[in-house]
Amino acid sequence: MDINLNDLLRRYRSHPFEDYPVVTPHTGVVFLKVKEGQTVKGPGGEWLHRPGTLLYVIERERNVKRMTALWSGQVSGIRLDIEGQFVEAGELLFSIRHQLDKEEIIDRILTQVLYILPAPQRARYFLAPEISAKLEQKPKEGVSVESGDDVLIMSLMKRDTVISYEGVPGALYKVCFKSGDTVEQGSPLLGICSPDKLRYVQKVIQRIRTEWEK
Amino acid sequence: MGKERVLIANRGEIAIRIIQACRDLGLDYVVLYTKEDEFSLHVRIAQQEESGFKKAYRVANYKDPNEIFSVADESECTAIHPGYGFFSENYGFARRAAMRTRPLTFIGPKWDVIRDLGSKINTKRLAKDLKVPVIPGSDGSIYNELEAEGVAEDLFFLQKEQGIHHPSILVKASAGGGGMGIEEVSHLDAFRRTYRRIQNYAKRQFGDEGVLIEQCLRDYQHLEVQLLCSSHGEVVHFGTRNCTIQSAGRQKRVEVAPGFDPAVCEYPFDARAVLDRIVKYSVRLAKHAGYDNIGTWEWIVSRDGSPYLMEVNTRIQVENEISACISRLNKSNEPPNLIRDQIRVALGDRLGFTQKDISFKGTSIEMRIVAEDTKRGFAPWCGTITRFDYPDEPWARLYSHVPRDTPYKIPTEYDPNFALAIIWGRDTEQAKERARQFRNRTIIEGKGAKDESIITNLEYLNDRIDDVLQF
Repeated sequence: MDINLNDLLRRYRSHPFEDYPVVTPHTGVVFLKVKEGQTVKGPGGEWLHRPGTLLYVIERERNVKRMTALWSGQVSGIRLDIEGQFVEAGELLFSIRHQLDKEEIIDRILTQVLYILPAPQRARYFLAPEISAKLEQKPKEGVSVESGDDVLIMSLMKRDTVISYEGVPGALYKVCFKSGDTVEQGSPLLGICSPDKLRYVQKVIQRIRTEWEK
Repeated sequence: MGKERVLIANRGEIAIRIIQACRDLGLDYVVLYTKEDEFSLHVRIAQQEESGFKKAYRVANYKDPNEIFSVADESECTAIHPGYGFFSENYGFARRAAMRTRPLTFIGPKWDVIRDLGSKINTKRLAKDLKVPVIPGSDGSIYNELEAEGVAEDLFFLQKEQGIHHPSILVKASAGGGGMGIEEVSHLDAFRRTYRRIQNYAKRQFGDEGVLIEQCLRDYQHLEVQLLCSSHGEVVHFGTRNCTIQSAGRQKRVEVAPGFDPAVCEYPFDARAVLDRIVKYSVRLAKHAGYDNIGTWEWIVSRDGSPYLMEVNTRIQVENEISACISRLNKSNEPPNLIRDQIRVALGDRLGFTQKDISFKGTSIEMRIVAEDTKRGFAPWCGTITRFDYPDEPWARLYSHVPRDTPYKIPTEYDPNFALAIIWGRDTEQAKERARQFRNRTIIEGKGAKDESIITNLEYLNDRIDDVLQF
């Protein structure tokens, strides 16, 4: 599918933000370490090995966990009422308004250019062991897939189901989830690029790279 | 000492049954729930009951012990009921509950008893020592492919020696339970692939890739013995159950108590003698292990009437209610409540009765109502239940976490089991007739993501009722 790249870029330029809610991963007593409006940094370094800004500390069963920012941005909607309180899992603490960078824009636009394999059900997904092994060996060259290949394992209601790929043959260009993540029904799992589209995709990437910061 | 407060570390219908037992005993309780279970009835019941304290806590996961203990402390609970599944057979969890700075009563056997009997491997070793028969196979968890292949080869060889024409073996996830993570292999050439698949599955689901290998018995009945014991050395049984009717994935679907009924079915062996034997063996093992709570001894009985102990479930069972349903204490007309008794003995009570006080009356059948496509390998169905109606009869009970007044989306994170129907009859024929009647008057409606109608196993249950207790 060809896209109207100009429109997409214009839309992202007018609102290059995404709001990420910061929620507690589990129960515990929370101590906030940021203030409303504060700018925070996400992980840094070549391998993202440097943790981001410390956002809050959560203590559970005498274990203290330091929670750092996964995205750069500005803190908004901070809940001061929960300071020093016991909270349940999934409690919203605040949001981080994150400004998308060039690579993130490419990432989002690619999901509209590639052939996407969506999640058939809300479930936990894993890459099939063969695909996972191939990706570890040659992540940059991509792994080719074709109809009938076992590409994913869907773990649903405690049962594992192997998902075979059905779609255009091509290179596995993008894995849109982390192994073991729960993915909502219809959300993208894999992005496949057919050989005849490869040049087009590369052109799109090139154009965003050169035009985004203009 | 203040009033006991029980943390119910489970979900679904068992959480509701534990709530009811706590209420009956005059105990406080607190429930846990995950985001996916927000609309489950167990949460609503707890949230709507008036009390001076918070009764429902949202946690990340039912399988995270830190979540459970953290809520237990915050909500000032004094005991934990693990239900079935999750931590119910995890001795490390039970030990932690008992030994932490702020100890909690684990409503189940003592942790060292769970350690000794909760593992299929230990149970097998202990049973062998006590001359209790067990299924031939590996004595321990296997982590090595070559070792596994060696055991498989031996088992195939043994079966051929016994003149078995179609030998096969079962590859099981050691840490599994409830029929999960079991596959059959009927040829040695296919073993390695299955072994790897089960090993990967076990690692993903249970975090332990250990595998057990056993001879696959083909023509058998799956029986259970229900025991209740106390920390005062008391041991009683509530008879036997038959759980032979199972899904393709070996999950139970229809259970019946008692385990055999020679009055209506013919058996190629003395059925009463076999039932007596498995009860006797189960009690022997329980006494030897110092068993001190509720538990189920699972048996395989082959066509020649030979019993083999499979495992001990050191917890309350989904199907315990049918054993209660056919039992009477001191000739009372009301059946006992085994969850109530389980809680009582865990809190230190004596049983208050002996085996002589227990009598049996009638037959009880449990039907597990599941959203699944029995014609497609029991594939789970995902979607929303929009209507759930069932008859209100004195001889039937239904336990479910599905609300009847609002649509309910079945969470994909858990089993699609959504109700248990418990039927009682004065004899097996009447119980079967009532089960059919109950099933025919049960109405379930719902829609999937593509607007397709709900698929349940109601038809399958109907088809299988006649098969209960038959060899």
